[in-house]
Amino acid sequence: MRRTILSAVALACTAVLAGTAPAFADDPTPVPAAPAASTPSPTVAPTDATPEPSVSVPAEEPTRAPAAAPADGQVSVVPEGAADTGVAGPADTTGTDRTLVGTGAGGVLLAGGAVLFVVRRRRAATGA
Amino acid sequence: MTPRPGHALATAALAALLVGCGGGQGDGDAAPAPSATATAAAPPAQAPAKSVRPLARSVPVGLRIPAIGVDTPVMSLGLASDGTVEVPPVTDDDRAGWYRHSPTPGQVGPSVLLGHVTVGRYGDGVFRHLARLHRGDRIEARLRDGASAGFTVTAVRTVAKADFPTDDVYGDVAGPELRLITCGGPRDGEEYRDNVIVFAELSTTKGA
Repeated sequence: MRRTILSAVALACTAVLAGTAPAFADDPTPVPAAPAASTPSPTVAPTDATPEPSVSVPAEEPTRAPAAAPADGQVSVVPEGAADTGVAGPADTTGTDRTLVGTGAGGVLLAGGAVLFVVRRRRAATGA
Repeated sequence: MTPRPGHALATAALAALLVGCGGGQGDGDAAPAPSATATAAAPPAQAPAKSVRPLARSVPVGLRIPAIGVDTPVMSLGLASDGTVEVPPVTDDDRAGWYRHSPTPGQVGPSVLLGHVTVGRYGDGVFRHLARLHRGDRIEARLRDGASAGFTVTAVRTVAKADFPTDDVYGDVAGPELRLITCGGPRDGEEYRDNVIVFAELSTTKGA
């Protein structure tokens, strides 16, 4: 009887752990996704070498004079504020998801172990 | 009589719990290490040997940063409609961009290049590891006329966007310098709180 219970618990633990593994595996860290050609902005060909290419960013040049190219260097037009050079992606949520799954699985295991422990102690106490 | 199996069981359950929780956080290295905010890394260095002659104006077409494995084409950027600096498009294979109202690399003045740290669902941006640069690292800008400008990193700073050091980045300087800009620090929703700025000075040139 005892052996049966132990075997069942061991099997259950194994199953839970095995079940959690695929949950982690299906979304590896933010690996750059495959092409997914749905970019709204028309990609700019590497013709960007010219001084005034049309960049595909949603931005039109304001009417302030571009002041052409500063012949002797230095910045001719100082932008306002900071650069927004980072777009967080949906991949960022995967870490949270994985934590939830891991914590959930651990909780299930702990609860199962506790119940079994109590049952066994009771049985020992009653001599069953 | 039965304590042993009971203890063993409890131990096994605890071990399993630890394994399960550990897996949850294991490879979540995607988030950029909450880099020490404010300014990190070296202070603006004193000018290295300034014997390198400035280059003639020529638009940058490529950027190479061996220390962090960057070798990217360079596009041209202007100003966005709100007056902020334009940034490269968010695409799968993003590239760096040169702010065209700044000097070209090798000219006297601060030549400004920007790149994304991450590009949304596409993952890492071209400047993903910019914050890993250190003083002394090399940066090479390839120019349209065939020349190239080699720069040496003098400082890497992480600053809150709210305190962006406009003068340090865009202000006049006496020699040919380079500024690389990306985002960094902890995220606040979809945005990063900080900017990572690399300061470098011209150290070598190759003629056209």
